[in-house]
Amino acid sequence: MRLNPDHFWTYGEWLFQHNALRDGAILSVVLALLGFVIGYIVSVFKHGPSEGFLRVSQIIGQLFTVDLPKMSFRRIYAVAKLAVKESIRKKILVLIAIFIVAMMFAGWYLDPDADSPARLYIVFVLTATNYLVILLGLFISCFSIPADIKNRTIYTITTKPVRPLELFLGRVLGFTAIGTFVLATMGLLSYVFVVRGLDHDHQAASLDPTGRAGETSFDSRHRHTFTLNSEGRGTTNEAKGHRHIVTKVGDKVVVGGPIDDLTARIPIYAKGLSFTGRDGEKNEGYNVGYMSEYQKYIEGDSLSRAVWRFEGVDNSLFKDVILYDLTISAFRTYKGDIVTPVGGLIHFRSSDGRVKSEDEPFKVKEFQVDRRSVRTKLKGFIDDKPADLDFFKDIAADGSFEVVIRCQDRGQYLGMAAADIYLRPADLQFWWNFVKGYISIWLQMFIVICFGVMFSTFLSGPVAVIATVAALVLGFFGFFVDNLVNTTSKGGGPIESLIRLPTQMGSQIDMELGNETLQKAITFVDRGILLAVSQLKNAVPNFSQLDTANFVAYGYNLFGGLLARHLTIAFGYFVLTALVSYFFLKTREMAA
Amino acid sequence: MATSPDLENRPATYDNDPTKTIVETRNLGKVYRDFWGRKKVQALKSLDLEVRRGEIFGLLGPNGSGKSTTIKLMLGLLFPTQGRVFVFGKEATDVSKNERIGYLPEESYLYKFLNAEETLDFYGRLFDIPADVRRQRIENLIKMVKLEHARKRQLKEYSKGMTRRIGLAQALINEPEFLVLDEPTTGLDPLGTRDMKDLILRLRDEGKTILMCSHQLADVQDVCDRVAILHQGELKELGRVDSLLKIQDLTEIHASGLTDDAKRQIREIIEKTGGKVDRMDNPTTTMEDLFLEIVKESEQRPGRRGGRGGN
Ligand SMILES: Nc1ncnc2c1ncn2[C@@H]1O[C@H](COP(=O)(O)OP(=O)(O)OP(=O)(O)O)[C@@H](O)[C@H]1O
Ligand SMILES: [Mg+2]
Repeated sequence: MRLNPDHFWTYGEWLFQHNALRDGAILSVVLALLGFVIGYIVSVFKHGPSEGFLRVSQIIGQLFTVDLPKMSFRRIYAVAKLAVKESIRKKILVLIAIFIVAMMFAGWYLDPDADSPARLYIVFVLTATNYLVILLGLFISCFSIPADIKNRTIYTITTKPVRPLELFLGRVLGFTAIGTFVLATMGLLSYVFVVRGLDHDHQAASLDPTGRAGETSFDSRHRHTFTLNSEGRGTTNEAKGHRHIVTKVGDKVVVGGPIDDLTARIPIYAKGLSFTGRDGEKNEGYNVGYMSEYQKYIEGDSLSRAVWRFEGVDNSLFKDVILYDLTISAFRTYKGDIVTPVGGLIHFRSSDGRVKSEDEPFKVKEFQVDRRSVRTKLKGFIDDKPADLDFFKDIAADGSFEVVIRCQDRGQYLGMAAADIYLRPADLQFWWNFVKGYISIWLQMFIVICFGVMFSTFLSGPVAVIATVAALVLGFFGFFVDNLVNTTSKGGGPIESLIRLPTQMGSQIDMELGNETLQKAITFVDRGILLAVSQLKNAVPNFSQLDTANFVAYGYNLFGGLLARHLTIAFGYFVLTALVSYFFLKTREMAA
Repeated sequence: MATSPDLENRPATYDNDPTKTIVETRNLGKVYRDFWGRKKVQALKSLDLEVRRGEIFGLLGPNGSGKSTTIKLMLGLLFPTQGRVFVFGKEATDVSKNERIGYLPEESYLYKFLNAEETLDFYGRLFDIPADVRRQRIENLIKMVKLEHARKRQLKEYSKGMTRRIGLAQALINEPEFLVLDEPTTGLDPLGTRDMKDLILRLRDEGKTILMCSHQLADVQDVCDRVAILHQGELKELGRVDSLLKIQDLTEIHASGLTDDAKRQIREIIEKTGGKVDRMDNPTTTMEDLFLEIVKESEQRPGRRGGRGGN
């Protein structure tokens, strides 16, 4: 898994710097206008132009004057409770049984020879839960209101002082409660499944004559080597994504349970990455022509450098040592000695560049996380004079500092992206990260329920299912709309194209209408339309963006900012679907 | 579309005279359309009627004459295609009027997986009734409709009559001022029918207004103060039950325990005093006669409205 820069935006950055708030506002306005126009057109067909306008305004007005203010929690709760009972009666909970059976079979089929069984197990349980719970949400939400209409139980509901929004909220609340229960049960089962599935023991099989190093027995299709320190403690090497703690008690060597396979690293990322070229001038980093979208490269044995800038690092998170992970890659222009990895040098320096640590050499570990550390008491230079330094006093006095990497080997390149180095303060509890993964699934379920209930306010059950699935598929392919919007720049937007088509004006020549203001106006409106269209794709949820299974599986802490973003997005869909449902419930003839 | 917009748009009289009108329909009509907007059935044609406070109003008519349609229009379950309905002086689509209405649908459309208590609790919550009041009312209503023995059983196990009774209890949970009963006695045995009728009269005496529709003519005759007779969506007759029936110069004698000899003697007495015995047997309900006559008449001369009783 690669972390993308957008993964570690803070909530505020996402909202303001990356325009989420602006885009959301545009989308709201576009949808509101669209809803009003469609509602008006439909109403005109039914009631004529003036009466139609009156009705639409009435419905909107009533939302704010009575339907929102007179909402009652007791009613919402009653509808929710009924929805729960209804779902239970539909034997929804059988789903949990299916899940257990699925896990039992999976236990046999999950490949024990995989490089990282933990990843495999976690991805499996999260994906299985995700699909099952989305299906659950889909089916309980889409059939409820249509069933009420078909059985005419809706007659006894809408003749009570129940408001349209209460029907929507109650249903969503009830189904979400059921879904939450199912999800929590599955989550608990999954956790036990993962932890127990990965648990295994080794015995110490051999100990070399010094009593300091040895090999474990071959269990669960792998073995480890280990080294012990003078006090008889140590760890094994990493195999299949985990290690064991080894202790020597008397003459016996005891190998503990697996560690490090279920982690939640809390990476602290750099705020920025900049490059200098082989001549020492700033550049964008070199492209080596493949996989270069993600990483940029520096050239070996030259002035080419990569510099990460860290800001606001809290020194209380670290004690004597600063752990950091390195995931940079190498690009060889010649094979050289294929066994010897490409080498680099790394040092830390203060923002003003006056204080820096000694260069430390490293070898690139391709396709692996290189777990490294630097002591807080270290040797270095102040104004190029050798000195003993304290990391947080001398280098990162205000929490900001820079990390500089260069490549040692002439003609070879090192590739890196902003996320390829991160500091690792103490890891978070794995279970908490696991819970956060389930919160992501919960949000997807919630969105599905909102959409299902919304579609079921005006469609029959099966059609509502199809509509909801269609919305999800559309959301998945939403990025095509971006392409569309970006590529129409040639030949102008929709209005310009409309002029070009009948006048047979080719897209290569500039539009010449003889009136500059008009031309400007057209371009302006066109830009507006394109912006509106590009925002409209966000009216349907893109679940691939909400999928966070890999964070849990690869042991990265699921950032609060990311989760908060997803929460905001889900809330947006909640409001959208509530309004659409309000409109349909309000205008639908329940007995027709 | 409306034929007399001026009349329709004058303010509802409930506001002007709160003691009188509970429901008012003006030129009310309903056309059922299919998905494409094509006309399927004209279920109701320009209906004008009022339901006044404190009365039991009966909607009468053969199957498919538009009784349920009228009721659904009043409750906002359907939207009129012509004319308007006011309930408590508010448009029928106004949700807040429902606070004061109790509705028993044609069939009891209730949640089959709930038991009697849960059902009443659910509907009680929809009226936003606080828990203690709710509990008290549920207790009383279950007793009133005689379902104490079945209070914990799911409605799907209920017989037709029991379902009807829990439906009625559900309609009374908010102690409504105005009760709308769509065929309250269907599915009830004679005893149950009697109970239901007594209950309706008692509720009227408590000051509630009741609108009921039925084709059980005896029921209507027994309990209704005023009736409207519908046929094929048209209003055929509207008036007080007693005046509608009074025109028939008939004497009914209800007696029991008569021997054949006694019957012969009574016949003799009537003939001696100048009367004529037309018929003397178990009397059919006279409402039925009126009803059949109207239907027959209406089929012969469609569209005309008879002029028997006064309002
Ligand atoms: N949802 C509907 N769609 C189309 N037509 C309908 C619908 N509901 C009722 N109708 C038609 O409207 C007419 C009046 O129906 P309504 O249910 O009002 O009759 P009713 O007087 O209540 O009859 P009953 O005594 O059988 O209950 C009938 O012809 C019926 O077929
Ligand atoms: Mg009916």
